[in-house]
Amino acid sequence: MEFAIDIVSAIALATGGFVYAVGAFGLNRMPDLFSRMHAVSVSDTLGIGLLIFGMVLQAGATLIAAKLVIIVLVIWATGPVATHALARAALHAGHKPLLVDGDGNLVETDPVDLFPELGVRLATPTTSETLIDADSDQASDRQEESEPEETLVGYGLDEGSETNPDARPPEQDPERDDEEDRS
Amino acid sequence: MMFAVAILGVLVALVLAVARALAGPTAFDRLLAANAIGTSAILLLALLGFMTERPEFLDIGITYALLNMIGTLAVLKFFRYGALGHAQDPDRDGELG
Repeated sequence: MEFAIDIVSAIALATGGFVYAVGAFGLNRMPDLFSRMHAVSVSDTLGIGLLIFGMVLQAGATLIAAKLVIIVLVIWATGPVATHALARAALHAGHKPLLVDGDGNLVETDPVDLFPELGVRLATPTTSETLIDADSDQASDRQEESEPEETLVGYGLDEGSETNPDARPPEQDPERDDEEDRS
Repeated sequence: MMFAVAILGVLVALVLAVARALAGPTAFDRLLAANAIGTSAILLLALLGFMTERPEFLDIGITYALLNMIGTLAVLKFFRYGALGHAQDPDRDGELG
């Protein structure tokens, strides 16, 4: 019986470590902030769950097991809260998710511009109540003044995002390009 | 032995998270990586405690889990409102960033 518990525990610990590393790999592999959050949630839920489960099997019904359960419950409760707050703060600061438009190009845009049937607006930066808001507003004003005629050249799936996920396009206004594409 | 395998996985994750924290490019990416680093530290504490048969490390792990969450929320609130005190806009008072 003890041997069987050891086997199950070893399997849980090994797969937990693997899943945890996979989540951190996605943190480096994904192209934009919001998909990185999605990748990290793998290690924050299944990875931690398996690792703690393996340790609880080793500990048996003791106070140590209770402490391990407390740790995993705290992480499971606070991880989504922190991720939600991070996404809201990023949207509030003017970040937009990287989406595929009708032509298969990757654009940083509001989802409702691509899928109007959703009918849901993201939280838009309101007034310049913080330093970050003021900066992003000025940046968007500069982009509109410069009137970039560049289209989405070199921003496709197979070029920029594959080799360098951090590559940002030169100055351009995604919504403007999106309107051109639809017309 | 099995704890060593798990520690190896967590260490790999820790190195990858540090790489993302150094690479950025935005402050939110660094914050996401910092959260992952904190979680990795908790797991390393627990696993090391089991491997060296000193489970007292788990108490430190619990403390670190609570501190990690508070730290992340504090930095996010600072990003959103530009201050850690109270909300500057009375219309948005009470809304958690």
